[in-house]
Amino acid sequence: MRVEFRLSGSGGQGLLLAGIVLAEAAIVDGKNAVQTQSYGPEARGGSSKAEVIISDEEIDYPKATDPDYLLALTDDAYQTYGSLMKKGTIITDSSVKLDPKMGVKTIVLPILQTAREAVGKQVVANIVALGALGGVSGIVSRQALEQSVLSRVPKGTGELNLKALAAGLALAEKAIS
Amino acid sequence: MSEEIRLMKGDEAIGEAAVRAGCKAYFGYPITPQNELTAYMAKHMLDKGRTFIQAESEVAAINMVYGAASTGARAMTSSSSPGISLKQEGISYLCGADLPCVIVNVARSGPGLGGISPSQGDYFQSTRGGGHGDYHTIVLAPKSVQEAADLTYEAFSISERYRIPVLVLADGLIGQMMEGVVFKDEIDPASLPPEPFAVGHQAETGRPNRHVTSINLVPEELEKQNIVRFERYGQVKKELTRYEEVQVEDADLVLVAYGTAARVCLGALQDARRKGLKVGLFRPITLWPFPDAAIGRLAGKGSRFLSVEMSMGQMVEDVRLAVNGRAPVDFYGRCGGMVPSEEEVLAEIERILGKRS
Repeated sequence: MRVEFRLSGSGGQGLLLAGIVLAEAAIVDGKNAVQTQSYGPEARGGSSKAEVIISDEEIDYPKATDPDYLLALTDDAYQTYGSLMKKGTIITDSSVKLDPKMGVKTIVLPILQTAREAVGKQVVANIVALGALGGVSGIVSRQALEQSVLSRVPKGTGELNLKALAAGLALAEKAIS
Repeated sequence: MSEEIRLMKGDEAIGEAAVRAGCKAYFGYPITPQNELTAYMAKHMLDKGRTFIQAESEVAAINMVYGAASTGARAMTSSSSPGISLKQEGISYLCGADLPCVIVNVARSGPGLGGISPSQGDYFQSTRGGGHGDYHTIVLAPKSVQEAADLTYEAFSISERYRIPVLVLADGLIGQMMEGVVFKDEIDPASLPPEPFAVGHQAETGRPNRHVTSINLVPEELEKQNIVRFERYGQVKKELTRYEEVQVEDADLVLVAYGTAARVCLGALQDARRKGLKVGLFRPITLWPFPDAAIGRLAGKGSRFLSVEMSMGQMVEDVRLAVNGRAPVDFYGRCGGMVPSEEEVLAEIERILGKRS
């Protein structure tokens, strides 16, 4: 089954890395994955968007056309990409102002706050978000996520990022139970 | 296959495949969307003590390829559409001198400076030679990161076998997206047999002079050289033509598409089949030589054709030549950096087969 993810927020939040880790975790789990991101002028502005497609089968169309999961970490990303959601689930941060017109299921999680306070560094919000996305979707295993986080984050930050991942997975568990 | 699946960008996978194929010299110049390839080569070629040069221009880079290839080294350059246009004079010289090399085009939208988004608008330039004079390059068109790596790896030996430059024609989407890829074993450039045409080291070996050139001012001789080269092209057509067929056997309509457009068509094909429409896909992997005999065979069986491209319609001309009037050939395309959606292609399929839902 093909599952589409869109990760959006502002440049510098590390969402491209989160997308890459998610795609790599899928490959570790023996699935197929494609990651795409905007390049050129789009990618150099204030906003950031990555897409990941995961499937047990071969992936034909490499971009997300009808995402199953949208992660939106800023008001702008929530408004821009939330309005494109026809089905699926939006996962957003508790700092984002919700719009009652969005017609799809929305899970609000304190992602930025958890990174800042529980983990202790705002910079790992991307990995907290990744944990939340992984946990809510259930598409990739915890072990694969951990392995991929360790292979992709800068040397010396592994422990911090594993803590962030665990915090994100815990947020997801609470939200879906 | 030597190791595990790695998640990599298409550009980087092309670079790794070239390093593993024993590429001894890479010459590049920056342009989006192939910069990651040049950056990858900068790191890994130098790590291995091989030659990496960021040239002062695309023109310089292709002429450096000419120089390196003359010595028998596995040589490569890469660029994107406007940069490949600049290289055309050098490519013509390489073909005229019968030198092997690998040229990668991670194509973007044109004409002119155009845009940086993916396009297939370079089909004519790639398959018709591109520069001046009577020649072709071999053109390989990958549809995935894995195939981009595999075809680049193989491009070096194909190029040497026929002494014809090989062009790997990808697009910005394949270059920029990440997918799982498995690489073939690494070849040590020192283990490769010496090329019989290679210049250099003459004093040590005492062998007669060798002369690598494309010039010949004697018409009778130049004509003969060209005829001999075209006999080799005939051999390439016979031995190298490659394509993939998906569900063409019972198809009323065969989609013809390569690279990224073929991926779109695969999705549209499945949607069409679910609706009971007998649709197949014919995907050329070699754009030159074009698999015209295989398409002709399908035309003889009563299929009609729809060429789907990220251009205003270029490969469709080769499809029409291959079909040679035996069946209707339609075209659907997006350009300027737009990638057609599966829904758009499906709508076109339904229009042609007269079954609008």
